[in-house]
Amino acid sequence: MSMPNVPKTLGASVLMVGMAFGSAAALAADGPLRGNVRVVIGSTSTGGDTYQNSSIVVDALAEKLDLNMKVDAVGASSAFRFLDRDPRGNTLMIFHDQSYLGYLYGVEGYDNIFEKYTIGPTVAINPGNAYLVPKDSPYENLDQIIAAVGDGEEVRVAIQPGGVSEIGFSALKNAIAIEHPGSEDNLVAVNTGSQADKNQQLFDDQADLINGTVQANEQYTRLPEDDQKAMRFVWLTARQSTIEEAPEEGLGQTSREQLLEYVEPNVTVTMGDENFTFDKEFFFLYNKDMDPAIVEQIDEALTEIYAEGEIQQVQKNSFFIPNFKPSDEAAEYLENKMSAYEGIIENIQ
Amino acid sequence: MLDILSLLDISFFLLAALGALIGIIFGAIPGMTATMAVAVCLPLTYALGLHHGLALLLGLYVGGISGGMVPAVLLNIPGTPSSITTTFDGYPMAQRGEGERALRVSVVASVVGGLVSAAILFLFAPLLAEFSIKFSYVEKFLIILLALTVIASMSRNMLVGIFSGVIGIWLSLIGTYSISDGGNGKTRLMFDFLEPYLFEGFSLLPVLIGIFGIATILLEAEDGVKSGLSGKEIKIGKGGGFSFGIFKGRLTNLVRSSFIGTFVGMLPGVGGSAASVLAYTQEKNLSRDSSEMGKGAPQGLIASESANNALTGGALIPLLSLGIPGDSTTAVLIGAFTLQGIQVGPLFIPENADTWYVMMTALVFANVVMFFLMFYAIKHIAKVVLVPQYILYPIIVMMCVVGAYAINYGIMFDVWTLLIFGVLGYLIQKVGLEVAPLIIGFILGGQAEVYFVKSLESFGTYSIFFTKSPIAVVLWLLIAASVAFSVAMGLKSHVKRRLETSQ
Repeated sequence: MSMPNVPKTLGASVLMVGMAFGSAAALAADGPLRGNVRVVIGSTSTGGDTYQNSSIVVDALAEKLDLNMKVDAVGASSAFRFLDRDPRGNTLMIFHDQSYLGYLYGVEGYDNIFEKYTIGPTVAINPGNAYLVPKDSPYENLDQIIAAVGDGEEVRVAIQPGGVSEIGFSALKNAIAIEHPGSEDNLVAVNTGSQADKNQQLFDDQADLINGTVQANEQYTRLPEDDQKAMRFVWLTARQSTIEEAPEEGLGQTSREQLLEYVEPNVTVTMGDENFTFDKEFFFLYNKDMDPAIVEQIDEALTEIYAEGEIQQVQKNSFFIPNFKPSDEAAEYLENKMSAYEGIIENIQ
Repeated sequence: MLDILSLLDISFFLLAALGALIGIIFGAIPGMTATMAVAVCLPLTYALGLHHGLALLLGLYVGGISGGMVPAVLLNIPGTPSSITTTFDGYPMAQRGEGERALRVSVVASVVGGLVSAAILFLFAPLLAEFSIKFSYVEKFLIILLALTVIASMSRNMLVGIFSGVIGIWLSLIGTYSISDGGNGKTRLMFDFLEPYLFEGFSLLPVLIGIFGIATILLEAEDGVKSGLSGKEIKIGKGGGFSFGIFKGRLTNLVRSSFIGTFVGMLPGVGGSAASVLAYTQEKNLSRDSSEMGKGAPQGLIASESANNALTGGALIPLLSLGIPGDSTTAVLIGAFTLQGIQVGPLFIPENADTWYVMMTALVFANVVMFFLMFYAIKHIAKVVLVPQYILYPIIVMMCVVGAYAINYGIMFDVWTLLIFGVLGYLIQKVGLEVAPLIIGFILGGQAEVYFVKSLESFGTYSIFFTKSPIAVVLWLLIAASVAFSVAMGLKSHVKRRLETSQ
């Protein structure tokens, strides 16, 4: 063998060894799901709750299934498109209630997920969806706001239109329509974008109430009242039972007990016969043509993971409330949830 | 204080250095950005722990922003959006064979910008955050408008330049006024069949690489195959004609541009490219001898590079003292905190003093490493231009295509965007339109729209643009001065040309 061939031979053998190991790893997973799996999420932010929660779940799943899985923050419209293109199961999606709320609000790029996709398991709740006022606001609580709007006062609410950020606003408007018919138009939406924009509206005195989250706004609630940036929670949309499951120490310096002051029965927003609540839930979405065996495989793997109990701890540490429901149960549950909110949105139109 | 020293072990510094190196490579490859580098490495922070993870990510951030200067100078392709203004003077210098000198000037400007902004971040973060929230939609719109006035002073022919700028703005409005910005999410300025592709408009980076990179290659290809720069004299080795004397009398420029970069960086929602554009405009307006700018003047590089590196410290100000990222890279960086369950917000610094000092150390160290890595590697990097063009250009086109495909995680239309704008960039230069104003219009147009509409929605009257606050009045004065200056300069060169032709 002549000398120049040595590197070539070496290269070839390294390549072959690599291929051998590569295929061995791929075969190690004996379920229908194999190869590399990409989990796209409906948010472009890697600093947000969707990415954070998806990472926790996907890491656990990758370990359990012995697969290479990666979360990609591609945003809603791209994520749906990627999912549409891949019936093999190598692209999965994780998103939250925005996926059907966007459809209910008629946002472009959103279809009825219950018709177009297979609904996978739910994995967790982010209990942090909140409404805040400036710390020196004349409104002590949500009841005062509802009463003021009923009396003809204009209250401006900064939200991001078309989804999770708007649903609480819609419910509030609906409640005012029920309690003070005809006054609901005094509750005005100020359409903004990011959390930064919503906060800024409050600092600029362009909004009286803003949508926010416990996670992003808790530190602002601890600023002294004379600080222009200081805020105060008036309402958390989560169910009381959800907040009760949060860690006792709460988040930052705000304990669970303090957070419970902003949910039922202390703060109520009526829907007529019952009160409105909204838990932001994360769940999987699959391509409709994906092999049902994969649906089952992921359900089983997650059932085992949640039975082991470790993931719950990780989720709670990050202020998520574990909420695993296998696919069938999740689909039915979410469809019911959607129809409840559909009623609210129709009422106020 | 001793607690902090115990957090800074050798692997901490190695990670920051490694980050800077990888960042430079990412930044230097057209289509790969600092944001991407940070996003790719974000999951590693799990394994590394918060402080070591931050060292790596901040290294990537500083390196990624700096690396963009390399293709900007040598190939006329801005490696990152904030290095477009570097191409204006860098590429003409490289064409004269002064690529190495241009790069050295840029590296020195970069490290100064980076360190100045780090110092401002360290000393004044909470104070400046307080100031930054005084900027509502109105003031942000005026900042963008001020940056847009650069179009007038940058054009060779003002009317053509402004026309090109307007085309750029028009192109930026294609797509939707995104619902995530509080718009209605309806598509516009396109045919129905284009909706699946253009829903979010043309993506910035493929447009940028296309209009600069591909168009440059097409123009060169038109000249026929040459065997590199053999005909031209290239100053390489022995500093390539660089000495620190270049910075003599440029201190004001350096400091001013660093401050502008830091300041724009700390305004959330005003993109990074506005920083270098603004710094470039101000140098052009305020310096006594700006006539050479755009033709290969080191002062343009100083303004551009010190401003874009100053972004790093600036963008961290709102992140660490309001919990709001200042630019797209810090928006990814915030993930390192949330993944570890650390809250960022107005109380972050007082409640996480250790992390705060650790971050400052990493930031300063990454800047220093970046400087030494680049300053001494430049004489090798600058040799890229010695590669024969028939080998170099196909490689660049390939890298551009891969980068364009990767930028939004695999959208084929981005590759088409690259090619469309490559051809468009070639054609507009053929018909005599100007590329730089067009691209600046494209970059700033979208933001200008959002802030303009939001201002009107919030306040309901046009007069608010003038009466909102003292800051608004100051910005209007700057805008007026910038426009008046461009007009005066335009008239002067017009008279000069007339005199020359009559002689």
